[in-house]
Amino acid sequence: MKSAVSLKGTKEGYQLIIQSSASMQDVYENLKTLTVQLKKDSQAGREIEFHVKTGQRELTDDEKNEMTDIVEDDYFKISSFESDVMSLDKFIKWHNQTSPSLEVRTVRSGQIVESEGDMLLIGVVHPGGTVRATGSIFIIGELKGIAHAGVNGKESAVVVANFRYNAQVRIGDNVHVIEKKDKTNDENSDIVEFVHVNDLHIIEVAPLEKLKTIRPEIGKHAGGIYNG
Amino acid sequence: MGKAIVITSGKGGVGKTTSTANIGTALALQGKKVCLIDMDIGLRNLDVILGLENRIIYDIIDIVEGRAKLHQALIKDKRFNDQLFLLPAAQHADKNAINESQMIELVDELRTDFDYILIDCPAGIEQGFKNSIAAADEAILVTTPEISAIRDADRIIGLIEQTSIQSPQLVINRIRKGMMEAGDVMDIEEITRHLSIKLLGIVFEDDEVVRSSNKGNPVVLNPNHPSSQGYRNIARRILGDTVPLMTIKEEKVSIWKKIFGFKK
Repeated sequence: MKSAVSLKGTKEGYQLIIQSSASMQDVYENLKTLTVQLKKDSQAGREIEFHVKTGQRELTDDEKNEMTDIVEDDYFKISSFESDVMSLDKFIKWHNQTSPSLEVRTVRSGQIVESEGDMLLIGVVHPGGTVRATGSIFIIGELKGIAHAGVNGKESAVVVANFRYNAQVRIGDNVHVIEKKDKTNDENSDIVEFVHVNDLHIIEVAPLEKLKTIRPEIGKHAGGIYNG
Repeated sequence: MGKAIVITSGKGGVGKTTSTANIGTALALQGKKVCLIDMDIGLRNLDVILGLENRIIYDIIDIVEGRAKLHQALIKDKRFNDQLFLLPAAQHADKNAINESQMIELVDELRTDFDYILIDCPAGIEQGFKNSIAAADEAILVTTPEISAIRDADRIIGLIEQTSIQSPQLVINRIRKGMMEAGDVMDIEEITRHLSIKLLGIVFEDDEVVRSSNKGNPVVLNPNHPSSQGYRNIARRILGDTVPLMTIKEEKVSIWKKIFGFKK
């Protein structure tokens, strides 16, 4: 039988690999014997850090604390825990934060549509309607109400839309009023632009082709793993 | 089983009560058994427009509070033999005197006896509105071509969408042909597209509406008026007929008409 905990030395340092099939009781016991053994063998005065790999198991905070208590002393430290899996709660949270939520609807006066992370809205925001996202907002359709990106203060968020109607854009605490006096005879009415907060903390409208230079990170995390 | 339809608008003065009276009358003229419920408790009007003011003995609050039976409070409109009834609002109570579940109970009781139950909703989005939409299966949204009415209608559609009511249908009321043709107000197509709901019908601004309402006769009784035609078409569409939309083109008044006047 494979032991519940095995030690592995790599270029990056020492790894403690936990068998996912072993019971936690076995893990603790194994860990205790292993640590005692290691402390006997190692030269005193040298600090050693362990990276714990838990495989197909997500440890609870209590379990992590228990392991830390067993291993750590003046010289031994657990630097980090790593798991190949992720709890459903965490996953949903992560998923919501990193993948844009898609809304296909009309946002009418008095309605508020909110999302975690980025939002892609396909539809019309009527006057008096509000869309809110903790990340950026992308609108395919018409914006006549309020689009509030970076609600929790994320000033790097942007709002991309065709700003051809009177509307209001907010990013974090910044407010920008879009005023189109004559919407019928506007030559540039079909141009999609974006609103962002610049280096001087001023909210401004910029042409879409500058989006990639001003916010290069946009599009990299959408739908994938966000390393931010 | 009868169908309960709420007639609402959000904004006041766009013609909810007039529309309720006229659509109800038009449905009764088509041979349907109709009950109109006035939900504007404290500011009742529907009885006045129907000319039934002096016949009120019991009202909706009397029923809710157990002072009367439902059939005692229903007022029969004698002009339409047993086709049109009115359940009047109380005048000395407010909108909180009744709640949603009482309203549902009341309407369910009416469903067995009537083909259509039209609920005249008060202006606003408070308790009176909530009571009115609670029991309804369908909604008719009345607006005028004014931007303020349209904005309120938009809000109301949003609120209705959150209930079990099927998508509301639009009535554009008090259309002034001249202004619409000149582009001073949004035209029918623009309004319908903006609100993105189904258009049920249009009604032109017509002095006769006020004139006949003042006499207690819904204008729809006289088929010669353009507004009357609008309401009749709406009733027919509710019954499932396909009726083409009336044209907004202002007809040129011919010289002969000018000289000899309209024949009444």
